[in-house]
Amino acid sequence: MTRRPGINLIPHWSERHSWKRLGLVAGVIALAIIYLPILWLVVMSFSAEPLSGFPGPFTLEYYRELMAQPDWIGPLLNSLAIAAGVSVVAMVTATVVGRAIPRIGRGRFGIVGIMLLPMMIPGVVIGTALFLYFRVALDMKMGLWSLFLGHFVWAYPFAFLSVLIVALRFDKVLLDAAADLGSGPIERFWRIELPLIKDGVIAGGLFSFLLSFNEIARSIYLKGRTETLPIYLWQQAASHSSHISLIFPLNVLILLASILIVSLAFWVLFGRAKG
Amino acid sequence: MGLNERQMTTEDGSVEAAAPRPARILEVNRLVHTFGDFTALNDVSLSANSREFVTLLGPSGSGKSTLLRILAGLELPTRVDALILDGHDVADVPANRRNVATVFQHYGLFPHLNVLENVEYGLRVRKVAKAERRQRALRMLEQVQLADFAHRNIAKLSGGQKQRVALARSLVLEPVILLLDEPLGALDEKLRIDMQVELLQLQRSLGMTFIYVTHSQEEALTMSDRILLMNQGRIVQEGTPEDMFDRPASRFAASFMGMENMFEAVVAEVGPETITVTADGVTFSGIWAAKGAPAAGDRVCCAFRSEKVRIAGDGAPEPGLNRIEGSLESRIYKGKYLDITYRTAIGPLRMREWDAHAVTDEAVRIEWRASQTILFPANEQ
Repeated sequence: MTRRPGINLIPHWSERHSWKRLGLVAGVIALAIIYLPILWLVVMSFSAEPLSGFPGPFTLEYYRELMAQPDWIGPLLNSLAIAAGVSVVAMVTATVVGRAIPRIGRGRFGIVGIMLLPMMIPGVVIGTALFLYFRVALDMKMGLWSLFLGHFVWAYPFAFLSVLIVALRFDKVLLDAAADLGSGPIERFWRIELPLIKDGVIAGGLFSFLLSFNEIARSIYLKGRTETLPIYLWQQAASHSSHISLIFPLNVLILLASILIVSLAFWVLFGRAKG
Repeated sequence: MGLNERQMTTEDGSVEAAAPRPARILEVNRLVHTFGDFTALNDVSLSANSREFVTLLGPSGSGKSTLLRILAGLELPTRVDALILDGHDVADVPANRRNVATVFQHYGLFPHLNVLENVEYGLRVRKVAKAERRQRALRMLEQVQLADFAHRNIAKLSGGQKQRVALARSLVLEPVILLLDEPLGALDEKLRIDMQVELLQLQRSLGMTFIYVTHSQEEALTMSDRILLMNQGRIVQEGTPEDMFDRPASRFAASFMGMENMFEAVVAEVGPETITVTADGVTFSGIWAAKGAPAAGDRVCCAFRSEKVRIAGDGAPEPGLNRIEGSLESRIYKGKYLDITYRTAIGPLRMREWDAHAVTDEAVRIEWRASQTILFPANEQ
């Protein structure tokens, strides 16, 4: 009697079911690493001794003090204005260029590569380069405009990428169909193309806003005498000023505002679609 | 816009033209279209009459879809003497200003709009009031049996339903010509056959001119009033389905229309009705399908269908029949029929046997009618 090749019933280590459980545990740890510090910050903002390392006794004192002391409002408004401007301009320009890429026959990958390269350049390098260029070559005064341009250079590739992904997926036959049904070029864009690529456009705008709002590396070189909120916070944290406890509530407020903006964007993108 | 004066709709929902249209609704003279160095359409002329079902038939790359895009205005021709649509020369007029509508191969439905909004789109563009456009769109959806699906998401429709929405979206504009680009290509076979009938009924009841692009000879034969056969950017033959099926006039046309048996021969004698040819010492008769007339000694091509071939009896051949000895080469079961190949003096010949379980002899005499044997010049493609 010849033996048939046997079947090994013992699972290989890579086939064990416990991998799934390990995945779950690893996921929880990862989330904890991300969210615990933030949670800690929120708790400490209500604590009387935020630097002591122990929560409580709980108080709203620092929130009250923050409201009484308006130094941070100027930097906040600067940051908001720059971020809003960068967001809108990046959104529009990324849409113009991102739509063009699928319509280019040859060399589109080269162009995409060049457009995305600034993402890879370290912030301090770009910051120094822009400073030298604006200040020395263009004789520009450092301030809101230089910050805006620096942030735009930083945010643009992200917005562009975001639009490009949806633009490449867009079926150009739909534009033929719209033309065939009587729409001119402008109407084709507004009624057909934009509604179908808007997810990418809005996501691009949102990324740009957040990237600009959080920017420090480039801003250090480009700010002149203008303060942005991240730089203000960094300066307050670095100096042993009496304001240091106020950083906690201020950060919590910024966190809340960010969550609000992001939720709004997600609602615009995905919430309304179910109709 | 020409739209409103044509909205005379009778009680039963069929649309009637208020003003009589010119009989000749489309006229294209000497159209040339190139993409870089590639000539997609080479000196193409065609015309279509009102209420006619014209099919552009050809293999992929023959230029039929490009021709359709030019008729739609989605592509402006490189050069054309005249492109007259409903009495106007529209050679330089873009798609959005032409009163034609297209049903695209993959439908091109707008995924962000529901069924009703898709159908309404063209009316909205034409600034038709909301109540009226809703009513017209719903009526059109009823005609294609999709009234219950008006508020359905496009993504949730089947292929056949998408097809109907695309049709409704185009037809609701009451275009002068409806252009259809392989509209049934993406459907499964059963649905395709149902849709052929439905399309034809729709075309008859609306009295609209259809120009239909397909690579399927079966579709073309079933639906068309007239077929234009295209190859390599030219119209190589045109005629009724019967003309095209029975009398293809070139090697390309014959093989595209499914003539399996084809061989070269030399003209021996030109008679009043039939022409006698010889090939490898065997003499046959056939009828001339191309233009002009051949002379004795001309090289010609001879073709006939495998389903016209049958096993000959023992007696002397009847007049009007071609006959040859053959021995069995292969026999392929196809379900509904058998494809049998016999080796003969003029090469392998195919015969289609409708009794799929027939017993096949090794050595036979086969015959086919001279009137079903067509001849055309051998030197053309």
